[in-house]
Amino acid sequence: MTTVIMACPTCGFVIADFTEEQMAAEERVAKRYQYLKKKQTLCPNCLIATKRLKELRGAEADEAKAAAPVFSGEILTPEEVEGFEEAEAAETPLLDELENGPWPSHVTELKKSKYHMMMYEEGMRLRQTQWGFGGYVSLPGVAAGILVRASARPDIARGANFMRMLAPSGGYYTTDMLRTVCDITDEHAYGLLHLHSAGGDIEILGIPTEDLEPTVKALNEHGFDVGSTSDAYRNSVDCLGMSRCDVALTDSMGMRDAWYKRYLDDVQYPRFPHKLKVRFSGCPNDCARAQQKSGIALVGVFRDLPRVDGDRLTEWVGRGGDMNAIVRMCPTRAMIWDGKSLEIDADSCVRCMFCINKCSYAIRPGVDRGVAIVVGAKFRGKYGPLLGKVLTPFVPANPPDYNEVFEIADRVADAFDEHARRKERLGDMIFRVGMDQFTEWVGVEPSPRQMAEPRTNVYYHWKAEELGR
Amino acid sequence: MPGIGIPPLEKTIPPIVKRNYGKWIYHEVPRPGVLKHVAESGEECYTVRAGMPANGRVSTALARSICAVADKYAEGHLRITRRQSLELVGVPEAQIDAAIVDLNALGLPVGGVDHTLHNIVACTGWIHCQFAATGAAAISKALSDDLYDIFLKEDLPAKLKVAISGCVNNCGEGITADIGVIGIHRDLPRVDDEKVKKCEMALIISVCPTGAIRPKPPKSVQVDPNRCMHCVACVGQCEGMPIGDPVTDGVAIYVGGKSGNAGSGPNFAKLVIPYLPNTPPRWPETSAAVREIIEAWVAGAHKHERIIDWINRIGWEKFFEKLNIPMTYKQLDGYVLWPMSSRTGVRFHW
Repeated sequence: MTTVIMACPTCGFVIADFTEEQMAAEERVAKRYQYLKKKQTLCPNCLIATKRLKELRGAEADEAKAAAPVFSGEILTPEEVEGFEEAEAAETPLLDELENGPWPSHVTELKKSKYHMMMYEEGMRLRQTQWGFGGYVSLPGVAAGILVRASARPDIARGANFMRMLAPSGGYYTTDMLRTVCDITDEHAYGLLHLHSAGGDIEILGIPTEDLEPTVKALNEHGFDVGSTSDAYRNSVDCLGMSRCDVALTDSMGMRDAWYKRYLDDVQYPRFPHKLKVRFSGCPNDCARAQQKSGIALVGVFRDLPRVDGDRLTEWVGRGGDMNAIVRMCPTRAMIWDGKSLEIDADSCVRCMFCINKCSYAIRPGVDRGVAIVVGAKFRGKYGPLLGKVLTPFVPANPPDYNEVFEIADRVADAFDEHARRKERLGDMIFRVGMDQFTEWVGVEPSPRQMAEPRTNVYYHWKAEELGR
Repeated sequence: MPGIGIPPLEKTIPPIVKRNYGKWIYHEVPRPGVLKHVAESGEECYTVRAGMPANGRVSTALARSICAVADKYAEGHLRITRRQSLELVGVPEAQIDAAIVDLNALGLPVGGVDHTLHNIVACTGWIHCQFAATGAAAISKALSDDLYDIFLKEDLPAKLKVAISGCVNNCGEGITADIGVIGIHRDLPRVDDEKVKKCEMALIISVCPTGAIRPKPPKSVQVDPNRCMHCVACVGQCEGMPIGDPVTDGVAIYVGGKSGNAGSGPNFAKLVIPYLPNTPPRWPETSAAVREIIEAWVAGAHKHERIIDWINRIGWEKFFEKLNIPMTYKQLDGYVLWPMSSRTGVRFHW
């Protein structure tokens, strides 16, 4: 067995180690190796940014492994973390003002924890953030890494590490679970939760470096996992779907469950050119904001018409339901309403859910249901915020493994993996190469439902083989 | 650690949800902050929704108190929504009043359902972020206080979602909301040659969307002030390029974002006010601007009309006119995708 290790060139800290046999046998290990080889990463030990890792093999590697330093804990020492007591004693007039008012105050919450209040107060006073550079740091066993953030004010606090705990589907907790998370946070961190961050995870803030591994271990023992960092799949977000929604078309929570069963490795072993997000929405209302935020958005759709129950509608109108207001707001004027009976024009209806939302008592979504795959939404990156583009308008969603859906999602991820430039988001890549090229790479049938309208542009390319040459 | 994944579904969902999974047939809003879902079996599920502290920052002390309330009224289950608010699912009808009293006793207001202001989403801002141009969580708290009366009632024309992002990275989802407040930098990244030396030069140069970063021999970079758009892309790549200035940073107001396909379909919010100053602790200018936009919308909108649907009907020119917002060159897009927001044709509202 030949060992391969990737170590920090400065201090010799081992960031990853595996055997050549493992690399040959497991695709994800090989991909991880390729990724580390290309990537210039932060060393968790000395925190020197972005230098190419040292690659060692065989006997040399074994030697280096034996001599490798353990965590020196340079970024945070216990004394520094406990420095909160002094900070608490200092005055925070600007933050105190935010404790007034009827809304529950986050400042009160911060004060109840071990958070360095003076970092925030100074930020408010100087009108500038007091936190410094941050990044992802791989830990043994947590390849995607946890987050570190240095401080621009070492006189108050020297920095803080935090990790992201994957939240349960739909955001449902048992109180026991939440109490366990509280216990772990109290023991190892500031005693402060972030319910939830934008990525749908709990951020546990303020973990001293030497406590990082014990924290991960404690979370794991209670059935929680960490992740959602680095150039991997981020934590996926779902709406509450069929669990408590009367208009949900697909089981978004079940789909997220199946997704995690299938892709957990890709969440924890970074291998993409940049991060990639997946979101599940049960219907076109898109409570998970999938079409605006995620590289791969799986949105529940239906193809037949909304089902109108005449008797219930009459009853609803009799109770004072305002049907005219709904008919007026139908975006395609597909509703024909004479005060007694309602008809929906099949050619006009775009299945947008408007009437169903407003009167789910009498108007129900259709039964021919599936998933639309919308790709490339994101906020930052080269071209700024881009909405997701329809890749394929309908894929059957078959529980429990949703194979048809995930196979296409796989091909999207592979195309991204293969063709994106380093630190290029999926949305930017699609913008650069064009929807025609991308659809071809993914290998789905082109559909008129992919376009808002056909192209006006008269310049398009024919390849030699398409001309039979 | 590999192999654990997310907690099992069967364990986390409340019993009433498990019994009626996928069998809900309609819902009503019997009173502000309370949802009633009815299942095929006739079983009724009451949900009480409460606002949470800005940015969803909850101390373990408050989290434990919330757990105690959930044990008392919701069979030991609770739910955190996509908008950082709290839901107790399956509260018995007779105990709703008591549950609201107990939640209020913890300082959590009950409201934010359907045609009203929903819980304001914010990113962490100056609490713990290197990019933040503004104290997003503080703005969220200030706005929530200011709009508190709207949150408690349920009398807006349609849903109103407000979100605060501390910088253009938009972790606070400001660009997706009906009214988004987004922190903006207006200064250049400050290049620290010593630190830039340690970073990967090619990456810093390649992430810049406008090519404003060029090499500066022997081993540093320079930023072209005429091309920089203050997008903070380079700031995340290298320790030697911090951005942010106490005097020139501030916020911009975006209006008309929405994610659902109902009505006019999903869209991002559009720039309305290009710059307002940072005025901690309560950002009165921002607060006033948001309230004015809400008031104009309430006065003009039809029932069920979200802000963007109202604006689509009356036209952006009328919107600017009604709110007396000065038009500047900044609202006209000049970046790569500019033709998407330029008007073609001469169909004007006068």
